Amino acid sequence: MRRTPLKNLIPVFIIILLWQVTAMLVTGIRGVPFPGPRETIVKLGALIGGQPLSDHTLYRHVVDSLARWLMGFGIAALSGIAYGLVAGWVRRVEDATYPILHLLQLIPGLAWIPVAILIFGIGEAATIFMIAVTAFTPVAINVLTGVKQLDTTFVRAARMMGAGRGAMFVQVLLPGSLPAILSGLRIGLGNGWRVLVAAEMIVGTGTGLGYSIIQARWTLDYTAAFACVGVICIIGLLIEQFIFNPLEKRTVQRWVLERDV
Amino acid sequence: MIRIENIEKRYTNNGTVTSAVLSEINITVPGGEFCCILGPSGCGKTTLLNLIAGFIKPSSGRILFNGIPVTAPGPERGVVFQDATLFPWLTARQNVEFGLRQRGLKKDDRFHTADAYLKMVGMSGHADAFPHTLSGGMRQRIAIARVLALEPSALLMDEPFSSLDTNSRERLQDELLRVWEAQRRTLIYVTHSVEEAVYLADRVIIMGPARKGICRDISLPLKRPRDRASAGFRQVATTLRTSLDTLPCCINSSVE
Repeated sequence: MRRTPLKNLIPVFIIILLWQVTAMLVTGIRGVPFPGPRETIVKLGALIGGQPLSDHTLYRHVVDSLARWLMGFGIAALSGIAYGLVAGWVRRVEDATYPILHLLQLIPGLAWIPVAILIFGIGEAATIFMIAVTAFTPVAINVLTGVKQLDTTFVRAARMMGAGRGAMFVQVLLPGSLPAILSGLRIGLGNGWRVLVAAEMIVGTGTGLGYSIIQARWTLDYTAAFACVGVICIIGLLIEQFIFNPLEKRTVQRWVLERDV
Repeated sequence: MIRIENIEKRYTNNGTVTSAVLSEINITVPGGEFCCILGPSGCGKTTLLNLIAGFIKPSSGRILFNGIPVTAPGPERGVVFQDATLFPWLTARQNVEFGLRQRGLKKDDRFHTADAYLKMVGMSGHADAFPHTLSGGMRQRIAIARVLALEPSALLMDEPFSSLDTNSRERLQDELLRVWEAQRRTLIYVTHSVEEAVYLADRVIIMGPARKGICRDISLPLKRPRDRASAGFRQVATTLRTSLDTLPCCINSSVE
């Protein structure tokens, strides 16, 4: 199916319609004011215009959330890629550690809250720890699998041309598993972003989108809470659209097509 | 010079050792010789080449390369694989530069050396192209350039042109001969095609299915350049084909 701009808008219309219907039903039946799309967009406009939200501007919340997420995700990405490369290459490392990864994968992100608070106390570090620990596993597993699935003739060709261990990692395994790395990062990114918002709600960071949602709930400002959810979606979509999609398009084009021919 | 002494290769599968893929292989290839290894699929030709390359280790016996036992792959034995296996994340030039980079060549030297070898295989015009944009024949040319750039003393080629169309294959055979005649490196070329062996080689070693080892070792009397249509060519081809036909085919070999 050709994706015309109009067709791209269909899902948006469906969401707005469902939302509007829900809002009308809840308001009518339960007698509770449920913010609809219109109020939320108006509120969002006001917030973007500089209206304060939980003592800070929207921009401050967004920047703080992004900074935490970037820290946590950065730690997860670097350590996950490094671990995946080594474990994918050295069988003994994989055998010794893979079950642990598997176990980590089963722990829901929010279950780390008590651990995070016990280790780091309430605040910034606990949030970053939670993001890092939830984003690490998908990155590590994907990179490991990517390295293991790398065509052995690439490795043979590199050794034949005199590549030492360092060159093998940096010039062959790393670029060779780039498609797998990217899909791991994409999953880790989503996991991290979700746990960030949840962690901010609980760990008490004082700023951030998650914190604002939970504050708005206490002050019964549900419209502001909805607006924050909207901001979270928009940021996620922007990251997909402008970072991951172009990167993936370029690598998939080069890496995968070669095997098809 | 390559000396293969009493090589045997068995694979282990879940702890049990399978029957030998190669046994009692003894070959000496003098420096500068163009030696074709000819045989049906499943006879262990590629295994033998991988052993010489150092990708795998023999179960017993040894391989001497210029008097030194082979223990690992290295740039003195350049390998051209059946598929070009260029790194898809590098351009043609960067692929050729890969080996030069491992040798620690400076950026400028790498650039010029890579250029020279790309020119030698007629790929100067595609130096900055990525592999996925090139045809199979072009990729194999670059794979040859990247190996020549290593300045190896021997070239090991594993059915390098078998996936190409006839026309590209014959052109690349001619270019390979041209390069080989200019540099006279030892060349071991694995193929299952009688015509290819007769067209290229000084000497043809015919291998049989597993555990038969080497069946015949024939020096080709033909002068170069060879004419695929000449009577002499056809006669040699017929002799080789008759030898091959006396071997059981690969299906029989798997029955113990």
